[in-house]
Amino acid sequence: MDLKKLNERVSASRQETEARGETFYPGASRIHLASFPPKERWDDWVELDSKAWPRRKEKRFMLVPTTCFNCESACGLLAYVNKDSLQVAKFEGNPEHPGSRGRNCAKGPATLNQLTDPDRILYPLKRVGERGEGKWKRVSWDEALDDLAGRIRKAIQEKRQGEVMYHVGRPGEDGFTERLMAAWGVDGHNSHTNICSSGARAGYQYWTGIDRPSPDHARAKVIFLVSSHLEAGHYFNPHAQRVMEAKKNGAKLIVLDTRLSNTATHADYWLATQPGSEAAVHLSIANHLIQTGQYNREFVERWWNWKEYLAEVHPGLEATYENFERMLAAEYEDYSFEMASQESGIEADTLREVAETVASAGTRFSTHNWRSAAAGNEGGWQVSRTLFLLNALLGAVATPGGMYPNAWNKFVARPIHLPRHPEHWNELTWPNEYPLAMNEVSFLLPHLVKEGRGQMDVYFTRVYNPVWTNPDGFSWLEMLRDEAKVGLHAALTPTWNETAYFADYVLPMGHSSERHDIHSYETHDGQWIGFRQPVLRAARERLGDKITDTRQVNPGEVWEENEFWLDLSWRIDPDGALGIRPFVESRKQPGERLTVDEYYGFIFENSVPGLPEKAAEEGLEPLDFMRRYGAFEVAQGMGQPFEEVIPSAELEDLAEDPFGRVFTRAPAPPLVNMAPMGAPDPDSEGRRVVGVRQDGKVLRGFPTPSGRLEFYSSTLASWGWKEYAIPTYIRSHVHPENMATDQKVLISTFRLPVQIHTRSANAKWLDEIAHTNPLWIHTGEAAALGVGTGDLVRVETEAGYFVVKAWVTEGIKPGVVACSHHMGRWKIHDDQQVEGSGEEGQRQMMATVSLDQDGAQWGLRRKAGAKAYDSSDPDTKRIWWTDVGVHQNLTFPVHPDPISGMHCWHQAVRVTRAQPGDRYGDISVDADKMHQIYHAWLTKTRSATAHSPDGTRRPRWLIRPVKPVKAACLLPVQGSEA
Amino acid sequence: MELIRALGALAEPPGPETARLAELLDLGTPPDEAAFSEIFLFQLYPYASVYLGPEGMLGGEARDRIAGFWRALDLEPPPEPDHLAVMLSLYGRLAELEAQAEGETAQKGWRRARKAFLWEHLLSWLPFYLTRFQDLAPADSELAFYGRWAQLLQDALRAEAADLGPQATLPLHLREAPALEDPRKASGENFLGALLSPVRTGIILVRSDLQQAGRELGLGGRIGERAFVLKALMGQDSSALLRWLASWARQVSKSNSEKHSLDGDIASFWARRAENTASLLTELSQEASDS
Repeated sequence: MDLKKLNERVSASRQETEARGETFYPGASRIHLASFPPKERWDDWVELDSKAWPRRKEKRFMLVPTTCFNCESACGLLAYVNKDSLQVAKFEGNPEHPGSRGRNCAKGPATLNQLTDPDRILYPLKRVGERGEGKWKRVSWDEALDDLAGRIRKAIQEKRQGEVMYHVGRPGEDGFTERLMAAWGVDGHNSHTNICSSGARAGYQYWTGIDRPSPDHARAKVIFLVSSHLEAGHYFNPHAQRVMEAKKNGAKLIVLDTRLSNTATHADYWLATQPGSEAAVHLSIANHLIQTGQYNREFVERWWNWKEYLAEVHPGLEATYENFERMLAAEYEDYSFEMASQESGIEADTLREVAETVASAGTRFSTHNWRSAAAGNEGGWQVSRTLFLLNALLGAVATPGGMYPNAWNKFVARPIHLPRHPEHWNELTWPNEYPLAMNEVSFLLPHLVKEGRGQMDVYFTRVYNPVWTNPDGFSWLEMLRDEAKVGLHAALTPTWNETAYFADYVLPMGHSSERHDIHSYETHDGQWIGFRQPVLRAARERLGDKITDTRQVNPGEVWEENEFWLDLSWRIDPDGALGIRPFVESRKQPGERLTVDEYYGFIFENSVPGLPEKAAEEGLEPLDFMRRYGAFEVAQGMGQPFEEVIPSAELEDLAEDPFGRVFTRAPAPPLVNMAPMGAPDPDSEGRRVVGVRQDGKVLRGFPTPSGRLEFYSSTLASWGWKEYAIPTYIRSHVHPENMATDQKVLISTFRLPVQIHTRSANAKWLDEIAHTNPLWIHTGEAAALGVGTGDLVRVETEAGYFVVKAWVTEGIKPGVVACSHHMGRWKIHDDQQVEGSGEEGQRQMMATVSLDQDGAQWGLRRKAGAKAYDSSDPDTKRIWWTDVGVHQNLTFPVHPDPISGMHCWHQAVRVTRAQPGDRYGDISVDADKMHQIYHAWLTKTRSATAHSPDGTRRPRWLIRPVKPVKAACLLPVQGSEA
Repeated sequence: MELIRALGALAEPPGPETARLAELLDLGTPPDEAAFSEIFLFQLYPYASVYLGPEGMLGGEARDRIAGFWRALDLEPPPEPDHLAVMLSLYGRLAELEAQAEGETAQKGWRRARKAFLWEHLLSWLPFYLTRFQDLAPADSELAFYGRWAQLLQDALRAEAADLGPQATLPLHLREAPALEDPRKASGENFLGALLSPVRTGIILVRSDLQQAGRELGLGGRIGERAFVLKALMGQDSSALLRWLASWARQVSKSNSEKHSLDGDIASFWARRAENTASLLTELSQEASDS
């Protein structure tokens, strides 16, 4: 055959093969990624058994996708289900996942360890002794559910909805539990966000109306990170791979990090700033852009709410853009490089060079801050706000290589049932003193309860471990042990944790391959959904089995939460009298409880644009498509939604405020994407916001009160914080002027690269890599103290101390010490057997400790470290480490930022050599001091009662996970001091 | 050019798709993993940088130049841009882009890119590389599949060259390639290593060549990578080995000269390099014999 005919033959065959959705060329490994199994072979994938070598023994697998549940990134996993044993043999990346693109960090494959962890909890347990005594009995799910449902029903019937609380650490599906709480009529959602990201969220929300950033790193020319992002930051895998892509294309990387983190090692400019000075650095760059005219004047004129700023701050000036530019220059002229250098310790010339690099990025400037400085400092919310100021100056907002508000790079589908709004306001989560708190001030709960502001009849902790994770853990322990304050505590968790010891029920929940959820996160300029599913359920269904409950395939009686919550809700309202049943009822079979198949089937069929069509191309139902591929890309290249011209159908009986905010009477079109964003108030005549007037047209704008990027926040100004109405610099509680000369700043906010809080502590591969948290201390300071690496030091906080090993390094700024919060796990009872669930505690990563209380004095002392032990996993006999780190958070008092409500993690500490009698891991805390410090920070607040401009408890337009009805949002006595 | 891309895919380890491709291309019984390993892992490494780089090793400047070609097209270079399968796949892709381009200018642009890639990065080494399959994968051996594959690829590339027309200048890889230095003049140069760099010597010296030399000269063979084997043989009888290598280089030069009319300046370059190598080795052999 001649060459031409051969060529035609190959082309025809390729077209035919690819039309069937199959792969023609074997995984083009060197062109794209390591070769993934072609998707048409996922039902029967053959690999050779490495242990049988040199014999060629084939092993056959079914490949089933799911979504990782360790960090929040929600990367795609592909479970290799052994077809003989029907067990998961390993996890690799899912190449069909648009966010992670088949690549995972160590935590993804280590999910396997979590499934086979010999210490995991397999059955529902109920305590039989005192709380915390460590005595448990196995109970049935029915018993636990009926008990919980009965108590919740009674609370609702007696109008004690405020006594039901659900406190979440790692969120599962977007909005699932929030909707159920609302369906119960309970304003009981409580998150961990105020110890995590609410500082950064505040900065973003005041600017854009949307509280999360979505940087388009891959296409950026300059990337600016205020975090140790590549190593351990948020979304670090999807973002890190894109940061590296950009670097390969020549992008410059600027990193602000006091430590020489892995991220800092990749930076073109590593700025080891004095903790708390970051906003000053940002403002010096902003000032440079402004003074040198290197900002995007057209964008600023078009999209900033500068007219409102002039009207409010300079009412005597004519509202011209030129006047605004003059005032803008005046506002920031004091932020010279010299001033920022003084604050940050970075040389002025370096700052100037960095500023010029930023200026060179144009609209290809991606930035990110999530925890780090925003989570460490009082006023940390201005860190993200001043960082976004740079984007806003350059016009690098929703541009290729720029920064997108996350709601445009995320897709949340409309569920089968939308809930009602609770009719009460929960003062324990949203207290009067913190009207602008971005999220629930969760870490204050023990103090609020201690003051008698309320109690809980039913308290759920869900993949959350406040005793260990939160500051001031002994206050949590005190609260949880007190049955008058916490009537019933149910810990929903896959594995033992310090909080679960003090529960009444411990209810085992599945890991990432044992539960359902839908996820969508902002990883790049696109929108995707990822499906988490119980992979053995999907595998068995492919083999023709009918599975109606995930417990049928999970180990022991491990359940998934969605089925649990649906069942619990059904039982709370057995006769429908409470009006809860319609929210968890089947549409296909009225009178029956909704199943997860119907729930997800509905969403995939009706609420995800393009999915039914894509599934149909392969002859699949949408649910089957998601069970097969695990992810779907909803959209790519979102552009700038704020520039969208509003269709005329949405414009009816318009009204317009003096700054061009446009209101309409036309009903809003049905919401397709329910990603959270601000919801500005209607006008006084009830018209809803629809857009902003620009160049004679009505454009979509931003979900802020003004509809524009809010350089000037009328919200902050009108709620008592006029001095912070524009992005500015707030000196931190750990600013040198607020510390004694012998104090240092302790940074505790950083992660260890392969671990993720308490979530990954039962992954043996990860534990072997990272299991301790020494104190980073600079060489010179260690020498002055006379300590070397491994020597014990005492770190004294405001309310106690901990004893830890030093790690002497040049990789930390003098005057600053650092200790990762990841380590220091503990258990109280050694070798305490729990019926059906091995031991109380997790033996690979927990020290056994004694807890000692003498009045307000608390102590914790290590009795034994980790050690090798016999179990179903032979590797546990190979544990070679004993050191599992130090639980420093116990010694941290609460530091609620008076505006964002964020816990300000950085500590002013004294570091000394350990004293005689000090032992590694020792903790000492004065609980009275803890409470005094809580009160000291309360005095910084400006309450709703004193400052609400409109009699409401909190600005209604701000995002809130569960929104009560309008009447519940009013202060109890309207107008008394407002 | 789907044919070329498909031939590239056959330079990947055999999988279930190999049989289908083999059948489509009339290449007969598909190879097993052992045949693949023997030819591509032990003898003829399928990486351009091995043949075009002055070090005769993976990576280096040769690979960077090929990666640069991707960048020039505003494409992200893959981790191994010089792997034969990747290169042929890119060539196929360029043909596709040319076919899909709207307007004559765009079409011409892609055609220019394809032609440049063909001459600069494929024809600069592949004709000589593929020739080695004739003796290393003969028709009666277990490697016969790869002999047929190489011939078909050789034919397909020639057809492409004829279709796109000649290129005026010698490829940059060859223009910039340093010659094999005379060890008597060079200081500290790794002469044995340089002997394994085809672009310097004009000859592709594979493991089985060295084994053959050992057998024919009655020298003890050692197991190891080529530089190690070469050193071991040289240590036993350098004069004989150099003579053997010179003769081998001369044969290669002759063979490449015969192709001169077909492959133009490129074949001439390779022939000249082999001839120079033959001359130098002959001299060195005589010196070694005299000393």
